Amino acid sequence: MPLHVGEKAFKSRVEKGLGNEFMRGAVRSAQGRLQDSRSHAAEELGDWEEWRNLGQEIRQHTMENLDFYLQQLSEKVAERGGHVYFAETADDANHYISEVIEKKKARKIAKSKSMVTEEIALNDILEEQGCNVVETDLGEYILQIDDHDPPSHIVAPALHKNKEQIRDVFKEKLGYLHTEKPEELTLFAREQLRKEFLSAEVGITGCNFAVAESGTCALVTNEGNARMVSTLPKTQITVMGMERIVPTWEELDVLVSLLTRAAVGQKLTSYVTALTGPKEESEGDGPEEFHLVVVDNGRSKILGTEFQEALHCIRCAACINVCPVYRHIGGHAYGSIYPGPIGAVLTPLLAGYEDYKELPYASSLCGACTEVCPVKIPLHEYLIDHRRNIVEKENKSNLSEKLAMQGFHKLAGSAGLFNIATKMAPFLVTPFVRDGTISKGPGPLKAWTGARELPLPQKERFRDWFKHRTKGGQHIAKRGD
Amino acid sequence: MKVSIFITCLGDVFYVNAGKATVELLERYGCEVDFPETQTCCGQPAYNSGYHEKTKAAAKNMITAFEHSEYVVCPSGSCAYMFREYEELLQNEPDWKVKAAALKRKTYELTQFLTEILQIENTGAEFHAKATYHTSCHMTRLLGVKEAPLKLLSNVSGLEMVDLPNRHDCCGFGGTFSVKMPEISQQMVDEKALHIEETDADVLIGADGGCLMNIGGRLNRQKKPIKVMHIAEILNSRGDN
Amino acid sequence: MQRGEIKNREAFLDKVAGQLGRNRRKDNVIRPKWKHQVQWKVLADLTENELVDVLEKQCEVIHTDFIRTTEKELDAKILQVLQAYGVKTALTSDDSRFSSFGLTNKYQDWKNSSDIDVFKWDIESPGQSRHLAEQADAGITFSDITLAESGTVVLFSSDGKGRSVSLLPSTYIAIIPKSSLVPRMSQAAREIHHQIESGGRISSCINFISGPSNSADIEMNLVVGVHGPIKAAYILVEDR
Ligand code: SF4
Repeated sequence: MPLHVGEKAFKSRVEKGLGNEFMRGAVRSAQGRLQDSRSHAAEELGDWEEWRNLGQEIRQHTMENLDFYLQQLSEKVAERGGHVYFAETADDANHYISEVIEKKKARKIAKSKSMVTEEIALNDILEEQGCNVVETDLGEYILQIDDHDPPSHIVAPALHKNKEQIRDVFKEKLGYLHTEKPEELTLFAREQLRKEFLSAEVGITGCNFAVAESGTCALVTNEGNARMVSTLPKTQITVMGMERIVPTWEELDVLVSLLTRAAVGQKLTSYVTALTGPKEESEGDGPEEFHLVVVDNGRSKILGTEFQEALHCIRCAACINVCPVYRHIGGHAYGSIYPGPIGAVLTPLLAGYEDYKELPYASSLCGACTEVCPVKIPLHEYLIDHRRNIVEKENKSNLSEKLAMQGFHKLAGSAGLFNIATKMAPFLVTPFVRDGTISKGPGPLKAWTGARELPLPQKERFRDWFKHRTKGGQHIAKRGD
Repeated sequence: MKVSIFITCLGDVFYVNAGKATVELLERYGCEVDFPETQTCCGQPAYNSGYHEKTKAAAKNMITAFEHSEYVVCPSGSCAYMFREYEELLQNEPDWKVKAAALKRKTYELTQFLTEILQIENTGAEFHAKATYHTSCHMTRLLGVKEAPLKLLSNVSGLEMVDLPNRHDCCGFGGTFSVKMPEISQQMVDEKALHIEETDADVLIGADGGCLMNIGGRLNRQKKPIKVMHIAEILNSRGDN
Repeated sequence: MQRGEIKNREAFLDKVAGQLGRNRRKDNVIRPKWKHQVQWKVLADLTENELVDVLEKQCEVIHTDFIRTTEKELDAKILQVLQAYGVKTALTSDDSRFSSFGLTNKYQDWKNSSDIDVFKWDIESPGQSRHLAEQADAGITFSDITLAESGTVVLFSSDGKGRSVSLLPSTYIAIIPKSSLVPRMSQAAREIHHQIESGGRISSCINFISGPSNSADIEMNLVVGVHGPIKAAYILVEDR
């Protein structure tokens, strides 16, 4: 599954989202719970703002010295007998991984959750190659069983589905016979997947953070599937976005602490598994062969630009969980495996404005995302920066908007014109006034009056009143005003 | 203390009563209020839409209009915040940048000015109603004015304040967002309207013209008997409502 | 161990440096002293006993049974837990603490009295050990470092301490020497960092385990017990 998901046009994706009552109900309640647990965890920790500052400081330093830390990481992994492949493109990464698997003549692959492998569409390549690729994260597993339904959230990929839908998928595809109780559904998945773990020849994992000083890859999970994937198969391949790195274990601590709280409100997830190279020769379990694939795939071109901090993202989804736009349109409407505010920022950077020029506008700029981001990425400001690029660099805005802004520019820049325009306002709208309100506006106001009344411009503007008033007179508000 | 009113476009044209109340409140506390006539719009619609070049004329006009003011007070959080963006917007024009920084330092949103500069927590207002308060996003998150309006409202006699559920949610206005993505915006304002209804309040109070126009417009369309008022009107009232 | 291969690195990192507008930095990058050091303030002033209380409280949050005991009663408590969970076979890691805490010589009694078989991870036959882990009802390990704040036991893998012991059986039991307790992950991370700085070789797998496995992937309902253990118990033993 590549970066792009769903139908081509933004508008039809949004319509589909808005019309999906199941999804919207599921998303609404999930957001509520996730928001509560995040803010509870932040409060409980205390000094949350200080933690965010620390997180930001660490990410800034790391990104400024990314080449150094990636070099150190690769040296350390190699010292421990692991192989490191630097993949500039999705194709490079897929090609390398597919070769490793080919050499092993492996057919059964167990995967734990990884956004970057979704991004590079690794599964498609491996399946073409004749491999049986099993997603083992519960959410991902559900989606895979459901004919590869795309993920709609970066932490809880099947967030858009309710339990009845999941039961039906299991029933139809796997002959599941029990109820829609999450406990029963989960137990069923446990039984199904246990067999897969034990028979998998290659395990593929993502990487939440790599630690440069020791060549360690840390996996932050709750289900235990990533531990399975990195314990049982003989070969392990870990795929990481090149920015997912910290200098030392001390920074790993800070970022993991931020991640687990911001993502799910936990102090730590059930498992934080830190893997350094393959198993030692004398150890009884763990992979004999270890490959680390470091993926660029468009990230490097963000470095050195005003958007550099977008690479600070630790994929906690806190911004998604507070986003009111996401709540209504759902993850699929973003047309990218990265939805929500971070998706609206990141997707156009990775894949260009051509296909994603609407995303930066899918926000009221309420700033809820910026407020919660644990590493203080200025998300809503980045959305404005994108709009600016679209308008001023790419010249991709539409004509009517351009004309409107041209007019605005003239008005707001000139006191005289502004004065005339505001004075005229009550007369200009007169033809549209019915019963003291405007219910059907002309031109650009149509979109407004589709759902709302437009108030009437007052005959006496504030500035007129101010000029003519007697000082110290009282205008007292009445509810009947 | 000399205070210049920055009335905002919506305040000048639509919400005139809020402006009047603002002036009267300030005068009551001994402020000498003036209205620089060359003020226009802060430029937010263009700025937030990415037309930064086109925002500059508005910014410069506003900087000039308020150049000689001691304090600038604005009855709208997001517009007051827009003044803070000028410095960065004009960063490549050193002279303007300096002036923008000066404007930023002396500009306050109304409730912020009342509590921080005038040190007032009780305006002696009286208003008889059951009301709820909408926290505007830019005012709380960007300008950082969180407690001031609630504090002031809590001291209005006769006013019963009810918490608005999910009060941190955006009302869906977002300036041009409301006309660019009307379907999404409508869902957001509907949700807001629903929460307001849940409070059973007769009055919705806000401190930002944009949000009030949006929420009020939706409540009117739905024919909901909830009155939408600006906080200045409440703080200036004397109980004869 | 043979050194691994690194492929495609130079061009890749040159590009990164180029984007950052400078030459490659191959050495001399000094990690700054962070302006904010807030992590060290968490639970900083607590006594050891207070940390135990924090741990106990956190165990409720992470659905983990918590038992306090003394060295003398440790074996009896473990047996109680095994019985309570209906464990018939248990697998322990090969860790000298099992004998130094006087447990190894109790296994026969457990077999006689309660028909519980206890096996030890066998360094010599890893295949069989892994198989045992698949079959056993419970895995038992000692905690190497214990984090009070999050209720976490830290396990360093080694020849005798296989990864599977704490993973495959449906019940996981951690024995926590009180002396292994620290406030939070920061202290454990710093210890590992120091080990690396002084040229030490860290374990190939370091697990931070906080209770049983769980998932909230279905409508955000928490389900305890997914792929890893379904139940977990911590037994805190006063070792001083
Ligand atoms: S942008 Fe910030 S809040 Fe959003 S996923 Fe990334 S780190 Fe989390």
